[in-house]
Amino acid sequence: MNLTKTYIPKKFHQAVVKWQETYLPDYDFLLDNWDRYFPRDTRFELCAFREMGMCNEIECGEQKGSTKFRQAAEMEHQQGLHVLGAVKAQASTEFGSIQQHQLTLARAQEEEEQFWILRMMAEELRHGYQMFHLLLEDDWSAVTDQSGPEMVEEILSMQTGSHILGAFNVDFDSFIDNVTFCALIDRVGKYQLSMQRISAYKPMAESMPQMLREEAFHLAAGVVPLRRWMEKAAQDSVYITTQDIQKAINKWLPRGLEMFGDERGGGTNVRYGLKPMKNAEAQAQYYQEVGKVVRDLNMRFIRARLPELSLAQAESLLEKLLADGGSSRGISLEELISMPHRDFFRRRGVPAFKMVGWAGENFDDVEAYLRHLTVHLPDGYRAGRDFKDYAQMIRRVASAELTGDEAARTMPGLRRVGGVCPCSRAVRWVVEEPDGNGSGGQAQAAR
Amino acid sequence: MTESETPVRIRQLEDTDIGGITALDEKIGGQYRPEIWERRIGYYLRRDPEALVVAELDGKVAGFMLGEVRSGEFGLEEPTGWIEVMGVDPDLRGQAIGRRLAERMLSHFQNQGASSVRTLVDETMTEIASFFDSLGFEPAPLRSFVKSL
Ligand SMILES: CC(C)(COP(=O)(O)OP(=O)(O)OC[C@H]1O[C@@H](n2cnc3c(N)ncnc32)[C@H](O)[C@@H]1OP(=O)(O)O)[C@@H](O)C(=O)NCCC(=O)NCCS
Ligand SMILES: [Fe+2]
Ligand SMILES: [Fe+2]
Repeated sequence: MNLTKTYIPKKFHQAVVKWQETYLPDYDFLLDNWDRYFPRDTRFELCAFREMGMCNEIECGEQKGSTKFRQAAEMEHQQGLHVLGAVKAQASTEFGSIQQHQLTLARAQEEEEQFWILRMMAEELRHGYQMFHLLLEDDWSAVTDQSGPEMVEEILSMQTGSHILGAFNVDFDSFIDNVTFCALIDRVGKYQLSMQRISAYKPMAESMPQMLREEAFHLAAGVVPLRRWMEKAAQDSVYITTQDIQKAINKWLPRGLEMFGDERGGGTNVRYGLKPMKNAEAQAQYYQEVGKVVRDLNMRFIRARLPELSLAQAESLLEKLLADGGSSRGISLEELISMPHRDFFRRRGVPAFKMVGWAGENFDDVEAYLRHLTVHLPDGYRAGRDFKDYAQMIRRVASAELTGDEAARTMPGLRRVGGVCPCSRAVRWVVEEPDGNGSGGQAQAAR
Repeated sequence: MTESETPVRIRQLEDTDIGGITALDEKIGGQYRPEIWERRIGYYLRRDPEALVVAELDGKVAGFMLGEVRSGEFGLEEPTGWIEVMGVDPDLRGQAIGRRLAERMLSHFQNQGASSVRTLVDETMTEIASFFDSLGFEPAPLRSFVKSL
């Protein structure tokens, strides 16, 4: 590992610390108790890391083989816009997820799981800091009229409801969300970071390796508690049922799929040498990977419920349940977890507002569809703002007041203006690229 | 089957391998120990995930190796790679899977600045000793001591 460590200028560093004091108040607790949970691990530090010795030549697209760009000004204007959009969107997700996790962090039942999430939050702060480093280190004036400080201010003043990507505008309802979010949404992060590891903009590529190392733990901080909960659920624990986990997956998976951007797009990123895969391809791999997580969770459940079964017997029981439904050896398919259809509850991309049910069935009547959703989504979520926004929007689509594509571009609406960031005066809103196919779901700065 | 014919893919370990490794461990040792692997893999993933390798065959874990670079232990000041846990599917042994896992881990250790790699082998487990012997490991003067408590 060949890392160089840097810091952003003091004024901005302090702004991030100030933001942390507001949205991550347990940061000091984390550092004070670090050795209790992570005795042999390097202590967390708020800084930016760059990996040295990475590939110097553009790895895909039209400029493949030529030297990677060290500065924004060297790129074509559109290419620069794409990179800037990606950096800002990435920064927004990092800070956004901390705000979400903070809402329900204190509700964890197990101290260890809570501490893992807390560490993960600190690392997200570092990831946001890393993106600020990219915004501040380079001169972006050839790409945007916005100054570095303005971009930092814009991101620090975003809140749940005003972030760039949908998944970061949805409130958490319980600690199940903290954990499910890590397992599902951070997994999208892993895909995005791995793809951007080849970025033609070298500072971006160099930022990815350390973030990816940290991301590996974030996924474990989701998957390990989920596995433990499946075991407890199999033993009829009263705390977290498989239905609770299923509903959390139903809530987050559609948002995760949408983070890959429109299924028809991503080609521009490949042409510009910014990512090696188009949106649909990466999304399909992701969906399959989540399917593997779900299968493992089900195996964990079956083996805990029926410890007398061998591995092979448990596997064939799972196959039988998946194929025939119903129940066998006292376990019913409903007690297990299943993957929602990939078009279920979508508001962006090809299936946006198409009224596809959980199992892929089609609905004609919007009220019947909304009632169907209420069965599959967590209670707390249904009572929240995001679901109401969605319901209002899909009713407008159903009444032909808006097309699905128009509605997709409107969500999420800006719900909160201004912020508690001490340096913020107003939020400058950002919108997705209108053609929905170049930016891979990343947003472009509105000017 | 020679190494080039084996369609085994060597890749970095991921959180989604916990189930597969638990299953492989069960196949090797006869015991189902999910909690141990959840904890252990959670530990390794937050330290140096790039050091962790699995061999995958037909979507299943055919082998794995866990380890990391540490310094300042046992009087060894220089960064030292440690191979700590490993296993290859008993049905797939002798097909250079173990060797390929080790090669990938060792090259990572080298990138991390380690000048040597170490492991501890139970003297009664002669096949593991032979494995490391074939990979060019030699007995080291560092002796292990133990006391029951
Ligand atoms: C040791 C182990 C990893 C070897 O895996 P493998 O894939 O069969 O090994 P390979 O085919 O890559 O063999 C590599 C070399 O080791 C040698 N080797 C491997 N197993 C051997 C054995 N049982 N006896 C003698 N030599 C052996 C091979 O001959 C080969 O040498 P070569 O390349 O010079 O011909 C595997 O047997 C295993 O998982 N054992 C149990 C591990 C265990 O108990 N783990 C728990 C403690 S950490
Ligand atoms: Fe992150
Ligand atoms: Fe993360």
